[in-house]
Amino acid sequence: MDFRSLFTRKSKSSNIATQRLQLILTQDRFEVSEDSMKKLQFELTEVLAKYFEFTMNSVKMSLKREGNSYVLMADFPFNQSKKNR
Amino acid sequence: MGKVIVITSGKGGVGKTTSTANLGTALAMIGKTVVVVDADVGLRNLDVVMGLESRVVYTSMDVIEKRCDLDKALVKDRRVEDLMLLAASQRNRKDDIKPEQMQEVCEKLKEEYDFVLVDSPAGIEQGFRNAAAGADEAIIITTPDVSAIRDADRIIGLLQHQGIDSINLIINRLSPTLVKKGNMISKNDVLDILNIDLLGVVPEDTGVIASTNRGVPLVHNDGSPGAEAYIRIARRMTGQRVPIPEMRDDNFFSNILNWFSRNK
Repeated sequence: MDFRSLFTRKSKSSNIATQRLQLILTQDRFEVSEDSMKKLQFELTEVLAKYFEFTMNSVKMSLKREGNSYVLMADFPFNQSKKNR
Repeated sequence: MGKVIVITSGKGGVGKTTSTANLGTALAMIGKTVVVVDADVGLRNLDVVMGLESRVVYTSMDVIEKRCDLDKALVKDRRVEDLMLLAASQRNRKDDIKPEQMQEVCEKLKEEYDFVLVDSPAGIEQGFRNAAAGADEAIIITTPDVSAIRDADRIIGLLQHQGIDSINLIINRLSPTLVKKGNMISKNDVLDILNIDLLGVVPEDTGVIASTNRGVPLVHNDGSPGAEAYIRIARRMTGQRVPIPEMRDDNFFSNILNWFSRNK
C-alpha cells in the first residue's frame, strides 16, 4: 500500500472528478434528474431491505455503457440475509 | 478501398486538429495513402497546423458546387509522400453544406486513398453531423477532465445512434505527474467511465506549441513523447499490434517513492 494515500485519498481531486462524472453521466444518459435517481435508489432499497440488511448510504447506482446500449449497475452491499439471523 | 474516420470530441480545444494532422502525417510516413479533410467550415485550421495554408486554392465547397474537380482541390503535403489536404471554405457557414454532400466527397476519396481522416468541428450541431456523415469509423479525442469527458460521452451516444460501430478513444494531454499526485483523472478511470476501446494515450507535450507555430506536425520531431505516441497510434490504425505503454512519471521524487512502495 502506498503510504501517501493514507493522508491524501479523501481529498484527491481526481477521485472527486471521477465520482462527479459518474453521477453527471448517469443523469445525462438516463435523462432523469438527480431527485428521480435518488427516488429510484430509495425504492429499490426498500424492496431489497425486506430480504437483506443495508446501510443505506453504501448503495451505489450508475449507468454503464455496454456496446450500443446501457446497463444499470447497482451495488447493494449487504451484511447478511435476514432469514439467516 | 480505404476507410473514412471522423476525428471528433464534442468539446473544443482538446486536440482534434492536432491529432488529425499528426495521425495523417504518421500514416503517410508508414506508407499509407492519406487525405485529411477539414470539416470546420468557416473556422478552418487544419491547413495552418500542417503548414499548407499558402497552397490552398480550392476547398470542399468548390468541389460540392462543382467549381473544380476533387483531385484538383487536394493540396499535396510538402514533406511526406501520399498525404493530401482537402481544406474547408473559410467564407461559408457550416449549414451551407448538407450531410449527403459531405458523404459523397468522402465516398469518392476512399476509393483512392487508404485513409480519409475528417477533422470535425466542436459541437453537436450541423458541422459535426456533416463531418460524421460519411464516416465508417470514429476516433474520439478527450482530455482527462470533467468537461471533455462529459462531452465525449454525449458524442459517443450520437455516433452510436448514427450506426457507427467502431468508435475508439484517444486520451490526449495526459500528465503522468498530475495523475500520480491525484490531480488528474487517470487513463483507467477515463476508460471505466466511457467504456469504449482505447486507441492510445498522448502525453502532455509542450513541443506541440512550437510545432503549431512552425506549421510542422509533431511527428516530424523524432523522439518527442507526443510524436512517439502518435506514431504508435497510427501503427495500431493499420492493424499492427503495438502495446500501449504505461506512462512514466518524469518526477524524480515520485519515482523514488514508487520504487519504495514497489519493494515493500
